[in-house]
Amino acid sequence: MDMKPFKLINKNKIKSGFKVPENYFEQLEAKMMEQIQVKNETKIVSIFYRKQLWISAIAAVFLLAIAIPVYFNMANKNNLDTTTIEMYLSQQQGINITELSKHLTDEDIVALEKNLSLNESNPDAVEDYLSESENLDYYINE
Amino acid sequence: MQDEKAFILELLNAKTQNEAFRKLLQLYQKPLYYHIRNMVLNHDDADDVLQNTIIKVFANLKNFKGDSKLYSWMYRIATNEAITFMQQRAKKQGISNEEAQQKAINELESDVFFDGEEIQLKLHKAIASLPEKQQLVFKMRYFEEIKYEEMSEILETSVGALKASYHIAVKKIQNFLNSH
Repeated sequence: MDMKPFKLINKNKIKSGFKVPENYFEQLEAKMMEQIQVKNETKIVSIFYRKQLWISAIAAVFLLAIAIPVYFNMANKNNLDTTTIEMYLSQQQGINITELSKHLTDEDIVALEKNLSLNESNPDAVEDYLSESENLDYYINE
Repeated sequence: MQDEKAFILELLNAKTQNEAFRKLLQLYQKPLYYHIRNMVLNHDDADDVLQNTIIKVFANLKNFKGDSKLYSWMYRIATNEAITFMQQRAKKQGISNEEAQQKAINELESDVFFDGEEIQLKLHKAIASLPEKQQLVFKMRYFEEIKYEEMSEILETSVGALKASYHIAVKKIQNFLNSH
């Protein structure tokens, strides 16, 4: 070949030859700015969510503050008083002496005996007790 | 860039961030594009890699420590993104990096965003015959005209090694062009 040896480094450099579509850089700039905006917006949204979380937390505390006393009040009302138990027992047909005595321990019976002074030194005790009792007629009829 | 620290603060401040980022794009999107394009060759690929690079730059601004210049930090991100992209491109096609590059060069002939002069195509073929690092150094010096000091920061290689690399590359390319 007669051609002069090729020199890379001279005044006329070979260009890379790479081109871009028309307005590529303007469009890219706009596109990238938009994407960054979107990212910033998501940050704002997350702050908003955090606010919401705080609001729900405060709401929950208030709800508990109201609900706990109400609950305990209702629980107190559920406590059974003696009259209700007596009413229940008296209406309950199946409960008889044997049934009741099943729930009494030996100590209970001793205590009852003592209470009623049921022993040989006072043979009239039962009678005395029964005569004092308002429900005598009821017991006799039973 | 003048007063880089102040500019970085503007980029991190929510109030000034948008305008500062626009300024950053106007200054660097073009040189970064050509840096990436010189590596990946195809416009659409360069566009993809550049967008990923910009997103990464934006996302990592708060971690930018200022040990190096903003400019070289961005170039480093762009270089890494382009290298990763080229490796994935080759892997997807099940061919080596060199084969993928040859393929990309052959496709340049019909690329509407390439000037298509014979000598330019020949030059790209010559560059492709070099080892990867030499290719990069040659392109950054010859096409992008990046100073050795800056290149040294970007590629984390000594100036001496870069100069040596470039001169070897120039010789090999001249030989290639004179013999093909």
